[in-house]
Amino acid sequence: MQVFKAFFKIIVKNLGQILIYIVVFLSVTVALTKLNNTADYTGFTETKVNIAFINNDEDSWLVEGLRNQLLKHTNIISVDDDTRKLQDALFFREVEYIVRIPHGFAEKFLNKEDVTIEKTTIPNSSREIYIDMLINKYLNTAKAYISYSDGLSGETILSQIEKDLAQETKVSMAFPTDNITLIEQRAFFFNYLAYALFAVLILGVSSVMMVFGKPDLKRRNLCSPLRQREMNFQLIIGNVSFAVITWLLLSITGFFLFGSYMLSLNGLLFMLNSLLFTFAALSISFLIGNVVKTQNAMHAVTNVVALGTSFISGVFVPQDLLSESVLRIGSFTPTYWYVVNNNTIANLVNFSTEKLVSIFGNMLIMSGFTAAIISITLVITKQRRTSN
Amino acid sequence: MVIKVKNLVKRYGDLIALDHLSLEVKEGEIFGLLGPNGSGKTTAINCILSLLKYDKGTIEVYGRQMSPDAYDIKRRIGIIMQNVAVFDELTVYENIDYFCGLYVRDKKRRKQLVDEAIEFVGIKDFVKFYPKKLSGGLLRRLNIACGIAHKPDLIILDEPTVAVDPQSRNNILEGIKRLNSEGATILYTSHYMEEVEEICTRIAIMDKGKIIASGTKEELKGMINSGERLTVELFKTDSSIIDGVLNLPNIVSAEFDGNLLIVRSIKGKNNLLKLLDYLKSRDIDVGKVYSEPPTLNDVFLEITGKELRD
Ligand SMILES: Nc1ncnc2c1ncn2[C@@H]1O[C@H](COP(=O)(O)OP(=O)(O)OP(=O)(O)O)[C@@H](O)[C@H]1O
Ligand SMILES: [Mg+2]
Repeated sequence: MQVFKAFFKIIVKNLGQILIYIVVFLSVTVALTKLNNTADYTGFTETKVNIAFINNDEDSWLVEGLRNQLLKHTNIISVDDDTRKLQDALFFREVEYIVRIPHGFAEKFLNKEDVTIEKTTIPNSSREIYIDMLINKYLNTAKAYISYSDGLSGETILSQIEKDLAQETKVSMAFPTDNITLIEQRAFFFNYLAYALFAVLILGVSSVMMVFGKPDLKRRNLCSPLRQREMNFQLIIGNVSFAVITWLLLSITGFFLFGSYMLSLNGLLFMLNSLLFTFAALSISFLIGNVVKTQNAMHAVTNVVALGTSFISGVFVPQDLLSESVLRIGSFTPTYWYVVNNNTIANLVNFSTEKLVSIFGNMLIMSGFTAAIISITLVITKQRRTSN
Repeated sequence: MVIKVKNLVKRYGDLIALDHLSLEVKEGEIFGLLGPNGSGKTTAINCILSLLKYDKGTIEVYGRQMSPDAYDIKRRIGIIMQNVAVFDELTVYENIDYFCGLYVRDKKRRKQLVDEAIEFVGIKDFVKFYPKKLSGGLLRRLNIACGIAHKPDLIILDEPTVAVDPQSRNNILEGIKRLNSEGATILYTSHYMEEVEEICTRIAIMDKGKIIASGTKEELKGMINSGERLTVELFKTDSSIIDGVLNLPNIVSAEFDGNLLIVRSIKGKNNLLKLLDYLKSRDIDVGKVYSEPPTLNDVFLEITGKELRD
C-alpha cells in the first residue's frame, strides 16, 4: 500500500491549509449556535415587573389579599404618594404600573357595588395586560366567592382564592417540538458544511492528485512493476477514506451541537444527505485534481468552485432570497439539491411519504452528479494516457 | 542481449526525433549513449521504457517485447531520469522506501535495501530531510538512490550528472562503476564525452536522432582519420614556423595559443618526432611537449563537422 500511505503523507504535509477551512467552519457554526442559544426562545421564564401599590382605602383583607397576590408575580416598589414622584418613577422606569385603590373600595366591593381600581402605566407597555390580568383574576375570583358563599369569613375566602390562583397555567410553545431558531441552526450547520467540506476536499484531493500527476513522478511510477489498476485502486481508496474522514469529522460536530437530535430520523437523514453530498463533492474534487496543474490554480479553483457553488445554491443566503435565475444555475450543482434537502429535513415533523419521496429524489440527483462526474474524469484521464 | 532496439522511429509532428535508431546493450556492460542536447537521448530512453509510443521499430528487453504492461521486465529495471523525480512531501528516507516498495513488498527486506541504498549514495546524514532542503548534488544522489534501492539488473541513467558539483559527480560516477562491478548492466546517457570515456565500456554516438558511430572508445577513435594532438611550448613565436610545420607530412593544422604551438595531425608514424626534428633544424628552443590521442569530440567533429559541445 505504498501509494495509499504516500497519499496520507501528502495530505498531512498540506494539513495547514486544510485545517484553516475546518477551524473556520467549526468556529462559525459553534459560535452561531451558542450565541443564539442564549436568547430565551427555548424556554419560558416569568419576569417580575416593578409596580407601585398605593392604597387610599382603609386596610382590609380584600386589599391586603390583592397586594399579596401581586407580590407573588411582581416587585412592589414603595414610592411616595406624590404625583411628581410617581410620574418620575414611571418615566425612569422604576415602576411600570401604578395601582391605586380608591377610598371606600373594599366596602363597595363587598356590597357588590361597581368599583374600579385606578391604574397608571407606561404607554405601550406589553406588561400592562399581564398586570391587568392578575388583578382581574383576583377580583373576579373574590367576587365569585362573595356572591355565592354568604357568611364566609374574609380569611376563609382569602385562603380559597389563594388556592385557586396558585394553579398556574403551564406555558407551552406553539411549535410542537422545537422552536424556529433551532431549526434554522441545524439547517445552517448542514448547509455551511457543504462549503467547508467542498473546500477541504478540493484542497486535499487535488494537492495529492497534482503530486501524482507531475510528469516526472508519473513516469517513474509508470516504470515500476506496480500495475496501473492497482495504483488507481490505491489512489481511489485514499480519496474515499480522506473524504469519509473529513465528513465524519465535520458532521460529528453536529452531535456536539445538537445532541440526541442527531439520532432522530431527522438527524439520520441529515447525515445521509451530507454523506451523499460528500461523494458528489469528492468526484468534483477528483476531476479538478486531474485537471489542475499548479498550486495557484488549485487555490483559485477551490475558491471559485467551493464558494461559487455555495453562493448560488443558498448555503450562505437562504434560497428564498435568491432570484429564480440564480437558483436555476444553482440547480446544475449538487450543492443546490443538498441545500434543498437540508431545508426540508430541518422542518420535517411528520414523515409523509410525499416529503420523503422528494428528499430521496434529491439524493438520487446528487448521486447522479457523482456518477456523471466520475465518468467524465475517466474519459479525460483515459484520453490523456493515450495521447502521446 | 539486455536491450535490443531496431530501426526505432519517433516523430513529434514534423520533427523526426529518432531516425531508424538501432542499438544493442549486452549483459554486464556500461553502455554510453553520447550526444549533444536535443539529439534524442531522452526520447530513446522513454521509448525503451514504453513511456512513449513510437512510430516504427522494435524494442526488446531481456529477450522480450517491451510494452507498458511488461511488469516482469519492469521489475528488473531501475531508472534514474534526467529530471529529479521525488516527492517533495516525503522525507529522503520515505522517498527511497516508497520507490523501493513498488518493487519489494517484504518490509524487512525492504528496510535492509533502503539502508543499503542510503549508504551507497552517501546521504545518511540527511534521511530526515525533505528534498526541498537538499543541495542540487544531494538531490541527484537521492534521485539515484530511489532508482537503485531494489537492486535492479538493468539500470538506465539519463544524464544523472547535469548541474552537479564535482564532488557529487565523482561520487555518482564511482557509484555507477561499483553497481556495474556488482553485476548490473548499465545504459548511461550524457553529453559529457569525458564522463562517457571514463566509465563506459561501449559507446554509441548520437546526432539528430541517428547513431552515427558505435563501439569501444578505441574502436571509435580508430574509425577516424585524426591522429594525435601535439602541443609544444616555444620561446619564440614566428609566423614562419607555422608555414614550415604545415609543410610537414600528416599535419592538418597548426596555430599559436600564446607561446604554445598546437598542431593537429592525421594518423601516421612518428608525427611528434618529425615535428621536433623540424624545430631543431631551425634552431628553435623547445619547452614542455605533450601528445594527446584523439578524443570522442574529434570523432564527433570529424563525422558531423561540428563540435560535440557548443
Ligand atoms: N514532447 C515533445 N514534443 C515535441 N518535440 C519534442 C518533445 N520532446 C522532445 N522533443 C524534441 O525532440 C528532440 C529530442 O529531444 P530529447 O529530449 O530526446 O533530446 P536529448 O538528447 O535528451 O537532449 P538533452 O541533452 O537536452 O536532454 C529535440 O529536438 C526536442 O526538442
Ligand atoms: Mg535528455
